[in-house]
Amino acid sequence: MQHIAVKELVGENAMTLDDGEAIFNQIHDPLARGETVELDFDGVEIFASPFFNAGIGRLLADFQPDILNSHLIFQHMSALGDRVLRRVIENAKEYYAAPTEQRQAIDRIVHDNAVAA
Amino acid sequence: MTVLTISVPRINDQLSDFSTLASIWRQVMDAGDGAEVHFDFSRCDFLRPNAVVFLGGLARLMQQRGGVPRFLSGTMQNWVRTNLLQNGFAAAMGENVSSWSGNSIPFREDPWEDKTAIVDGYLKPLWLGKGWVNVSRLLTNAISGQMWEIYANAFGHGESPVGALSCGQYFPKRHELVLAVADFGVGIPSNARLHGNPNFTGKEAMEWAFYPGTTSIPHSTGTPRGMGLDLLREFIRVSQGVLAIYSHDGYARIDGSGEIYQNLPAFFEGTLVQVTLRCDDTYYSLSNEVDSAPYF
Repeated sequence: MQHIAVKELVGENAMTLDDGEAIFNQIHDPLARGETVELDFDGVEIFASPFFNAGIGRLLADFQPDILNSHLIFQHMSALGDRVLRRVIENAKEYYAAPTEQRQAIDRIVHDNAVAA
Repeated sequence: MTVLTISVPRINDQLSDFSTLASIWRQVMDAGDGAEVHFDFSRCDFLRPNAVVFLGGLARLMQQRGGVPRFLSGTMQNWVRTNLLQNGFAAAMGENVSSWSGNSIPFREDPWEDKTAIVDGYLKPLWLGKGWVNVSRLLTNAISGQMWEIYANAFGHGESPVGALSCGQYFPKRHELVLAVADFGVGIPSNARLHGNPNFTGKEAMEWAFYPGTTSIPHSTGTPRGMGLDLLREFIRVSQGVLAIYSHDGYARIDGSGEIYQNLPAFFEGTLVQVTLRCDDTYYSLSNEVDSAPYF
């Protein structure tokens, strides 16, 4: 089992897409190898949705929910962090449930828009 | 060089006040790049923080386009002058003066996303940590996380050329603690039209942006995003506060009694958010219950 102390990677505030990306990079490959990952939020005080979107929601692109339920363990999560995480997962499931073509079309529009801006 | 003088009247935080700000934005845009704009405050006896962040952001936008903003301090009435000195706006705009704390939450500019500076250096100590609202450390963290959603929208979705600007004020007689955040980016309705329906009106776009599950704005790398506004709405309703958002042609107001979404008659290219917290005996709480159901 892999134990990852979130505070050591992102500090006390787990809020940004970059924070989430740092977590994603640590947990994706072990999960892909079938290992169990324990994400320990001890000492993390503030949570916001961009962090969970990039760190956890994205996992649903590659893993089935039952695999994540059995192989990804959240420890020392505050009540608010728990609520934000659950909403983000709900949102991510809808996003990844959309047909691939539709997601690709949305991603392409966002990318083009960002470049134009 | 074009020189334009704009008269700034009293600006509060109603829809009509927003129209005034949008009108000022339009005049500045119409003056074109490189214009010198004088802001005359002789008709102004009150400015809310929403006006302060708006004018500050507009000044930076002008400067980026080679323009010269001048805030005519000699035209300011005492209250306005004191307010702009106290909250640091005058110093930020180039005056050699010092700010002081008082009842202001300082004018702040964040050209880029800096979570530590904004949360640990501003929201927690200067907005929530001065004893104006009774919140525990845990709740301070929770509210800060919710407020971060506004900044995340400004930096992540907004593509704002001037980043995010913040300013607040404690109004003891009104028992209100106000924080305003502005950006001059692509706005919430534009994003909603891209990802929802290109034919959305401003009202429909704002409704869509607040609706759970539909704010899935993906990152270019395929990351699901969104949810921030929905979570913030939930906190505001529970805490009996007020959240008002003006963005391009859409308006949303959330408070304890309900939600209002409207088309805005006046357009401006950006987003202006104002959060008002009650400073009376309001019981700020969030559920401590942790759901035991599987996450995924």
